[in-house]
Amino acid sequence: MNSSLQMVVPGAARSTPVERFRGQARSRLFRADLLTVLAWSSVAAAIALWLADGGATGFSTLAGSFTALGIVAGLAGMDLVLLMLLLVARLPLIDGAVGHDRALEFHRKLGKPSLYLLLAHGILIAAGYGMAEGLDPVSELVSLWVLVPDMWLAIVSIGLFIAVVVTSLVAVRRRFPYEFWYAVHLLTYAAVLTAIPHQFSTGALFAEGTWQRWYWIAICIATGAALAHYRVLEPIVATVRHQLKVSRVVTEAPGVVSIELTGRHLDELAGNGGRFFIWRFLSPGAWWHPHPFSLSAEPVLFDSSGRGRLRITVRNLGRGSAQLARLKSGTSVAIEGPYGLFSTAARSRDQVVMIGAGIGITPIRALLERTPFEPGNATVILRGHSEAELYLGAEILELCRRRGATLFHLTGPRTTGKQGWMPESAVRSGHRLASYAPHVAGADVYICGPTVWARSVISEARSAGVREEQLHNERFDW
Amino acid sequence: MRLRAAVSAALASAGILLVGWQSGAHVANTGSTAATTSATTSNGTTSGAAAGGGTKSGSSGSSSSSGSSSSTGSSGSAGAAAQAAGTYAGSVVQTRFGAVQVQITVKAGAITDVTALQLTDEDRKSVQISNRAAPLLRAEVIKAQSAQVQTIGGATVTSDAYLSSLQGALDAANL
Repeated sequence: MNSSLQMVVPGAARSTPVERFRGQARSRLFRADLLTVLAWSSVAAAIALWLADGGATGFSTLAGSFTALGIVAGLAGMDLVLLMLLLVARLPLIDGAVGHDRALEFHRKLGKPSLYLLLAHGILIAAGYGMAEGLDPVSELVSLWVLVPDMWLAIVSIGLFIAVVVTSLVAVRRRFPYEFWYAVHLLTYAAVLTAIPHQFSTGALFAEGTWQRWYWIAICIATGAALAHYRVLEPIVATVRHQLKVSRVVTEAPGVVSIELTGRHLDELAGNGGRFFIWRFLSPGAWWHPHPFSLSAEPVLFDSSGRGRLRITVRNLGRGSAQLARLKSGTSVAIEGPYGLFSTAARSRDQVVMIGAGIGITPIRALLERTPFEPGNATVILRGHSEAELYLGAEILELCRRRGATLFHLTGPRTTGKQGWMPESAVRSGHRLASYAPHVAGADVYICGPTVWARSVISEARSAGVREEQLHNERFDW
Repeated sequence: MRLRAAVSAALASAGILLVGWQSGAHVANTGSTAATTSATTSNGTTSGAAAGGGTKSGSSGSSSSSGSSSSTGSSGSAGAAAQAAGTYAGSVVQTRFGAVQVQITVKAGAITDVTALQLTDEDRKSVQISNRAAPLLRAEVIKAQSAQVQTIGGATVTSDAYLSSLQGALDAANL
């Protein structure tokens, strides 16, 4: 039997008078909406700076119109670039509202539009200036490079932006190793820095003594400071504070290992926040390789001093992960995090359904341990090719038994089509998500697994009446 | 919820753009008044130099001064001795930041003064650059008694156009 009912806790689910997570969800959605409004407003503000400077009068001539459109494109483009940087700056405000993976998704979505705006900026300005002087755009670009200070930097910058965006296109990115993409992506900082001088020295809008100059300086510095603080300083502080060291490496299944780490002040990592970290194992040849993994168990505290143990469970996916099985105990570990919303912080309902596939089961294991629910209010669905691939299955069974959660093991070959997330046999039997979790429409649904599989679960959950605020999906394929 | 975000974002953006537009309309009005005033002034001082008559074509900043250089000085004859005193206006040189034209005052074969009839004034920044560069260039030219002076750093385009127009005036004065 492929789809087996492991355990059911009978008894009507006691519904609490006031659902305790409603307020939390409302607040989180409000913050997400507020961030959306702020992001769009910043683009409008960039254009308003120019309007307030009387920029619209440029449209009186043809050359002026080209130049004016070029300036608008440049302002909007630079604003989008700053937004992209903020989205990857791991700001707690953004991470807590939409989560690390969604922030990265927005970051990717802005890549092409901002490049197009910057290209339009260069082309339109060259055309507009050229027309005013009776030059063709190419000669104008040459003359700008030679004659106007900082313009050669700006032209170099656009070349760098093109390189960064092109290497990030999915089709191109697959052809090169991650490290190559990462190295090219670091050029973004060079691209932004080389773009800045001409904005202040040639851009009349930001001439000395204008309030626009102060606004632009402020948003550039704020973005740089956010990056420096949350991407450099905070990780260093966290690494030094927690002093994590590998204590042992346990083989869970062929190609799957659990890495246990001991450290200090781990009580600070408990609570409702994210469970996703970026790990660097500080051993020769591996220290520079960042690994994104979620905890596979709640932090275990040895005593009240905060000393304790963390655990991650990883599958041998690539060259980098293969090294992890050979980690020696005592290896120091640098961390960035915690990030993400695959945690109690994302809860919006009292009932909860947790669905994991393959190695994506392991974050479910951690969530199941402590996220609040009454007995009978939680359903756990694990998906794998075989029982052996339901990693940490024994621990999950034990947790379900103790906490009163319903557990299903869905094993067997996958199917194609809309119900592709279930095994073939379950689809043939006419099962749906609601067959396993009848209360799914009123529950939080946590989904962790391969992208295509997760998409199938999400579409099924939506058709079962689950709303966006109830869907929590952690992607781990980047 | 997404709808709420979209509507609020649209409203906020529209509001911000409107405020920008409003304050911009004010700037545009004062700007055009200033432009009219300066045009009147330059018309008053340069009777002979046809405004915009000397549109330049060709590469920017080069020394080609194909525009008309008209003398408003007392000496009418073209081949007259260079000692003639008077004022000579240079050609109008177009740059991407606005037109540039200078006028020299000659006494006893020497440049005694350089007046900028038009300077790059496309926007506030250009005005700022012009106002900084013009006095420096004037001093340099009077000292060197020629157009062979260093351009002003950070004001390359203005300097080139200034000196190019100056060369036209020098040619007209036969200096």
